[in-house]
Amino acid sequence: MSNKLEGFVRDNKREFEVKVPSDALWSKIEAELDKKKPVKKTFGMYQWMSIAAMLLLTVGVYFGYQYQKTNAEILVADINPGMGKKEVRFTSLIEEKRDSLQILAATDPALYKQFITDMGKLDNDYQELKRQLQTSPNKSLVGKAMMKNLEIQLQMISQQLYIINQVNQYKKEENSI
Amino acid sequence: METVYIDKHADLVNECRNGSRKAQFEIYKLYATAMYNVALRIVNDDAEAEDVLQEAFLDAFNRIADFRQETTFGLWLKQIVINRSINYLRKRKMEMVSVDGVEIAEELETDFEETHLKVEAIKSAMAELPDGYRVVLSLYLFEGYDHEEIAHILKITENTSRTQYMRAKRKLNSLLVTKGVAR
Repeated sequence: MSNKLEGFVRDNKREFEVKVPSDALWSKIEAELDKKKPVKKTFGMYQWMSIAAMLLLTVGVYFGYQYQKTNAEILVADINPGMGKKEVRFTSLIEEKRDSLQILAATDPALYKQFITDMGKLDNDYQELKRQLQTSPNKSLVGKAMMKNLEIQLQMISQQLYIINQVNQYKKEENSI
Repeated sequence: METVYIDKHADLVNECRNGSRKAQFEIYKLYATAMYNVALRIVNDDAEAEDVLQEAFLDAFNRIADFRQETTFGLWLKQIVINRSINYLRKRKMEMVSVDGVEIAEELETDFEETHLKVEAIKSAMAELPDGYRVVLSLYLFEGYDHEEIAHILKITENTSRTQYMRAKRKLNSLLVTKGVAR
């Protein structure tokens, strides 16, 4: 009894399927099939290439950023602005005195060379400290050492200037006699 | 009609695999009407059923490499048609109301008077059913899926499928009665 509907449908299924799709449908499908085949391939290729380009760009930007980050130098001024000012003052004084030393020592190249190598050693130490500053956990200590180094450089160059002056004075006196 | 689903068209299918347009047309001629009616029963709209059919055939021909001989080509194609039809229904926001635990017990089976069973009457009554009822009814009654399969296709529970089916049948019967068929 309860399966009457099911049985009826089963027995008469054919009569339920009398509607047919329109004749134009196959030509639509055919047109799509013609369109799809070549397009799909090139589009896939294009898509892959754009994905690759995107990836490359992303990786590039990422590493570029990382590179920049590691390249950003830590300066003493970053640790302590006062120290930064001090550094600028010291280095400009040293530079100034070095110029005058060069002029005054023109008459005595051997002595000048000696002075320059002494200064060079100290300056190497300074550059080494500057490198340590990038990685050192105790940055203020390294900063202080850098200041100390500059101070010594300044004292040394002042002394060198003094000596050069003395030598020149002596030479002058000798000439006048 | 059942003979269509026996895979006597394996050669044609293989030619389709090689992209033969002639074989594709042969396949289309063989299955178009049956598949159109499958779609039509679900979406209940001539134009949408044609859209479904077009998409399904295109899909089948483009994905024919995926078709393994585990099932017949007809059943495989029907699955594509049904899935596409249901997508259309979902776009229409068909509600598959979950009725788990409700009324699953002794629902009185609906009796269909012999006289009510007229093909045209059933067809027009089915067209009036809500989408949710019609899809379950047509999958069970016409496409021969059981409730487990319907649950899988519609992503509902088996109980929901059973209840929907019973309600759909009852509604269909009352529609047939109010239409005054053969009275």
